[in-house]
Amino acid sequence: MSTMNEENYALSFDDLKVTFETSGPEVQAVKGLSLQVRPGEVVALVGESGSGKSVTSTAAMGLLPSNAKITGEAKVGNVNVVGLDQGKMRKMRATDIAMVFQEPMTALNPVLTIERQLTEALELHGIAYGGEATNRAIELLTMVGIPDPAKRIKQYPHQFSGGQRQRIVIAMAISCDPRVIIADEPTTALDVTVQAEILDLLRELKDRLNTGILLITHNMGVVADMADQVAVMFQGNLVETGSVDQVLMNPQHEYTQRLLAAVPRLTPVEIDETATHTSATAPVGRELVLEAKDLVLEYDMRGSTFRAVENVSFNVAKGEVLGIVGESGSGKSTIAKAVLGLLPVADGTLAVKGHNLPKLSPKEARKIRKDIGVIFQDPAASLNPRFPIGECITEPMVVHKVGTKQERINRALELLDAVKLPRNVINRYPHELSGGQRQRICIARALTMNPELLIADEPTSALDVSVQAVVLEMLQDLQRDFNFACLFVSHDLAVVDMLADYVVVMQSGKAVEQGPVKDVLHAPQHDYTRRLLAAAPVPDPVLQAERRAAWRELNATK
Amino acid sequence: MWKFILKRLGSAIGVLFGASLLLYILVINAGDPLSDLRESNAENREYLMQQRIDYMNLEQPWYLRYWTWLTGASRCIIGQCDLGRNINGIEVADLLGNAASSTLRLVFLATVIAAILGIAIGVLTAVRQYSGLDYLVTFLTFLFFSLPVFWAAVLLKEFLAIGYNNWLANPQISIGTSIAIGVVLGLILQMFLGGSLKRRGITFIITAVFVPLILQYTLWLNFYRYPQMGPAVIVVLTVLLALSATAMSVGMKEKKVLYPALISAALVLVAYYATFSLLQNANAWVLIFGAILSVVIPGLVGWFMGGRLKRIAAGVSVTVGFVGAGLTVIDHLFRAWPGFLEVKGRPIATIGSSTANLKGTFWDHFLDNATQLLLPTILLAIISLASYSRYTRSSMLEVQQQDYIRTARSKGLSERTVIFRHAFRNALIPIATIAAFDFAGLIGGAVITESVFGWKGMGELFITGLRAVDPAPVMAFFLVTGTAAVLFNLLADIVYALLDPRIRV
Amino acid sequence: MSNTNNKMPENLTSLAELEDAKLASSDEQSKSQSQIVWGRFLRHKPAMFSSILLVIIAIIAFTSIGYGPLPGWWKASYLEAGVVVNGGKPTLSLLPTWLGGSGIQWGEHPFGQDSVGKDYFALVMNGTQKSLIIAFVVGIVATFIGAIIGAMAGYFRGWVDEVLMRITDLFIVIPLLVLAAVLGQIASSSSGSIILLALVLGLVTWTGLARLVRGEILSLREREYVAAAQAMGSKTSRVIFKHLLPNTIGVIVVNATFAIAGAILLESSLSFLGFGVQPPESSLGLLISQYQNAFTTRPWLFWWPGMIIVAIALSVNFLGDGLRDAFDPRHTGHRRGLFSFLKNRKDRA
Repeated sequence: MSTMNEENYALSFDDLKVTFETSGPEVQAVKGLSLQVRPGEVVALVGESGSGKSVTSTAAMGLLPSNAKITGEAKVGNVNVVGLDQGKMRKMRATDIAMVFQEPMTALNPVLTIERQLTEALELHGIAYGGEATNRAIELLTMVGIPDPAKRIKQYPHQFSGGQRQRIVIAMAISCDPRVIIADEPTTALDVTVQAEILDLLRELKDRLNTGILLITHNMGVVADMADQVAVMFQGNLVETGSVDQVLMNPQHEYTQRLLAAVPRLTPVEIDETATHTSATAPVGRELVLEAKDLVLEYDMRGSTFRAVENVSFNVAKGEVLGIVGESGSGKSTIAKAVLGLLPVADGTLAVKGHNLPKLSPKEARKIRKDIGVIFQDPAASLNPRFPIGECITEPMVVHKVGTKQERINRALELLDAVKLPRNVINRYPHELSGGQRQRICIARALTMNPELLIADEPTSALDVSVQAVVLEMLQDLQRDFNFACLFVSHDLAVVDMLADYVVVMQSGKAVEQGPVKDVLHAPQHDYTRRLLAAAPVPDPVLQAERRAAWRELNATK
Repeated sequence: MWKFILKRLGSAIGVLFGASLLLYILVINAGDPLSDLRESNAENREYLMQQRIDYMNLEQPWYLRYWTWLTGASRCIIGQCDLGRNINGIEVADLLGNAASSTLRLVFLATVIAAILGIAIGVLTAVRQYSGLDYLVTFLTFLFFSLPVFWAAVLLKEFLAIGYNNWLANPQISIGTSIAIGVVLGLILQMFLGGSLKRRGITFIITAVFVPLILQYTLWLNFYRYPQMGPAVIVVLTVLLALSATAMSVGMKEKKVLYPALISAALVLVAYYATFSLLQNANAWVLIFGAILSVVIPGLVGWFMGGRLKRIAAGVSVTVGFVGAGLTVIDHLFRAWPGFLEVKGRPIATIGSSTANLKGTFWDHFLDNATQLLLPTILLAIISLASYSRYTRSSMLEVQQQDYIRTARSKGLSERTVIFRHAFRNALIPIATIAAFDFAGLIGGAVITESVFGWKGMGELFITGLRAVDPAPVMAFFLVTGTAAVLFNLLADIVYALLDPRIRV
Repeated sequence: MSNTNNKMPENLTSLAELEDAKLASSDEQSKSQSQIVWGRFLRHKPAMFSSILLVIIAIIAFTSIGYGPLPGWWKASYLEAGVVVNGGKPTLSLLPTWLGGSGIQWGEHPFGQDSVGKDYFALVMNGTQKSLIIAFVVGIVATFIGAIIGAMAGYFRGWVDEVLMRITDLFIVIPLLVLAAVLGQIASSSSGSIILLALVLGLVTWTGLARLVRGEILSLREREYVAAAQAMGSKTSRVIFKHLLPNTIGVIVVNATFAIAGAILLESSLSFLGFGVQPPESSLGLLISQYQNAFTTRPWLFWWPGMIIVAIALSVNFLGDGLRDAFDPRHTGHRRGLFSFLKNRKDRA
């Protein structure tokens, strides 16, 4: 299809296959991929873990490890980079093909100044030298929106925020005017509002420089926001390609359909300027499980204290789900930590079933812990790697000395059924399970003691979309069956909208808005909530275009 | 940054104080200092015992004895050390001066050599992970880790010193042996230089052919007893260095680097003649001053001629100038060698830190000190080299996995730039801390080395002191080594802060 | 990325379903962490070779001359002087007759005799026994103390950490050899027991491990499974001994082996200087010290004990290397792993 290279593509793949030789059997990461990126066009390569999307991009950069066998073609401009001599490949990097990486926090060398890191590519590729290169670098920083670039260029990466670092990485990528930029999950590690800004920047630069962009992402909202063309990958195969409207609005392949169905969506927001909603007025008959009043939480930072949460009040009753949303550093996870007893309460009250936690003796506190279950974010770290699954699940019973050995085994089997995992998993070890499966084990462990309160701290944010859907659905079902109260911490408004009854919106340690979900998320009063809502992209290109306009307007008035 | 360093210094001094108390208590409880006198049959036994009790304040309780020592030792800050008397009533402070200087010289030299070579080898093996070189170095480092120092010292003495001295009396290498040496060197060199099979083969053949020829030629010249170099060889070598350093850094076409490098080479020749008679009767200050000039002048030349490449130009010129100056010094050493052999027929020494009553010029003493230091330094350096290379290797491998290395590669930088500019500086950060630890460890190693090589150093002070349950020399030993360790730690902290901007700011 | 994705049903179109199908159809035997590590260790050739060599050395050392009241199969005693035969030259020969040697045989005195005609094989075996016992006791004591102190400092942090780490620094600032020599002098002047010497040496060699375990625990305690255990109300002791320490087992085991190698060398250095094992007991270091000047005349008196020390230390080091690779299969020199490798060597004499 692309052998007749009439058109001048910025980047094109033709039947690209990548196989890794491992100590075991060979692993086929990419099984024949053909795709074209035109100049000035954004092609999104979408897929979940193991789909081969990142391998594809790394192959185009010629950066795959030596145990990778590559066949087929990956052309940058008219040059096939598969099997290209390393010296020639090096000359093409930055000038023909550049890359923006996922983790801005680690993508910059911590011991070199920004100036050095920006100018070295310019000098290497003979674009500018010495003072001229520095001036050009300052220009680039201005272009990507770093304030006061002449001064800040002398600084080191750790003196910049995550969003700013990603801007610097982008400046680096565009420094030598490449034909194509590969952006590998460029906004995944960033907050939604920063993500919206970075996407705006990429879009603007692409139009200005007429660069092609291969955008690798798992986020359908980002796809709808940015892409012209979409390619969907699953398990190394390209299952569907087409324009963004075709693929997102009228998907043909079953995988794409199910993937899109799995994305949690926020129903449209109606900003009603006149309506008000009173926050947290408890209807009668609620059986309060968790109650916080004027809660203050502090971290000890080498002598000085950092106030992470200030005067936050909320409550959760039996059978209810309270969502806490906010961006990183808002203090939302700190609250979860305090409820779990991992952080002392500095001031205010935090009561579980009427017992104020700061006032309890260690023994009483331990008794209260029996009624609290917890699910954390990182499925890779939340199970002890040395415990078999059965022991992981029944650990709370062992800690509280409940049940005989047989009773514990029976309970574990029961819970495995509840989270829909095969019973023989009981003797397996965590490393044999996938992330989603481990997260289900965590849910099972949280439910072992029939808790009255479940703390879920970003339980699905490390999971793939379709896996997230399964886990969320399971949580909803179990909550209905077991009728526990739940404190659900998340950065994803759509997930909270789907799950929670009440919501608290946090910004830098303060609760800026709280109340029933239908009020707060569908008729937000506070400016910050509106910005959060507007910044989160939705997987619908038409709707997203409107939202983008609204977001710009909101930002302009700020 | 200053706050950070002062804090570290404060806690280090506290630790030093605590450690001195601990050591003092342990030493005075390590036996009976009067045991030899109790068993003696001397007539003045009582008098001798009383005298020793007086010297060592034995009638006082332990805390008073410690207090006396501590107040005396803390006067070192104002330059008036009172470290007490040893078991024979000799002021320990008087004994300490010579002992400390010879031991610290040994340890310092060994640390510097080991750090430079070890880090270089570590980088090389990390870059060529799983190569033949890597496996060989890995095996050797394990072997060095497993060598008892004293055992290896005796082997070195036997084979290196005595063997070499015997050989030097009448230098001969048979044709067969020189071919064998050539083959072995060829094998080693091709491992180090690496590259494709063809390149390795060429390296091997060239070395295996040339080394035997050079060996036989130098024997014919009687080079080993009458070595010579002369200005012509120096000029050829420095010009070759200037050309290759330019080629390796930026390529021959960059005149902005090539010219200052060649000018530096020319300056070396000028300096050779200008300083000839001065260096004939040199002293330490002349050498130090010369070394400084050999860095500063080429550096300035490079800096001002280099234009946009001034950093690289200065670096290349300094390398040329410094190596040239080094060659000049070697030339003078060569000239002094035959005379030195006359006063010291068996040059490589196995006993003592310098030859007593050696009469001769500055260069003779220079050579004497060097030959006396040679074996102990090699021994200590080998042991600590193993840990430096091992640590650098793993640190480099770790850093090479980092995201910013991938970013650097994605800019199209060459492997060399990626490794030296991006990976190496980051890899050095943890090594700075290791260096401080290693220094303290080497002092322990130095005790054994000195004992094997019969040095009158700190080790001897410590060993005889401990045998006699005599705290003053042992504590004096600790005062020097502990302070050195703390200072070294501090230095490491400063280097750490210089390398890592996250601490500095 | 799974290596079984080739035999997966092609019709599944959801990642979650695919993963569950894989799990349900997987018939591989479950392996615990320790089984996996053990498997990797068994495949590490230098480590396996070293283990075998070490076991052979230990068996010969303990069975040949016997241990304590137990008799051995070797007839000569290390205490009995005798007639010096053939200048005391070793009778061990490994060169077969058809290669011009005198055949593979042990002979009367395989390692030769010393100046008073004592059988040197018996002496060296006695020294090997002492060295091995001391090394293992030191290894165990140092590992135990280091692991506990490191775990406490890392878990409690704050002032506990501060105090424990300053104490550790106290031991580090005094060169290990010096501290060991002083303690060795105390131990040998109060009683000649080598077990006491070993215990005392163990008391000063734990510092490296303590720092490593502390670092490891500091990072492990931020893991979510530890937070989960604390949140469900586990007692501190359970968190430390069930969740934290078992997961630092790699660092601990690897370091224990390096500590043992270090202890062999430390003991021999001390005995060489005269602060370790005292005559009439013998140790490998003591033998070298006694015969270092015999090198030119009777080199075997110098070679045998030295080579045995190197053989033991080298095997233990390779064993530790194999264990580290087994625990940390990334193979690329785990920073902490390598830290461990050095920490024990830093103060090594």
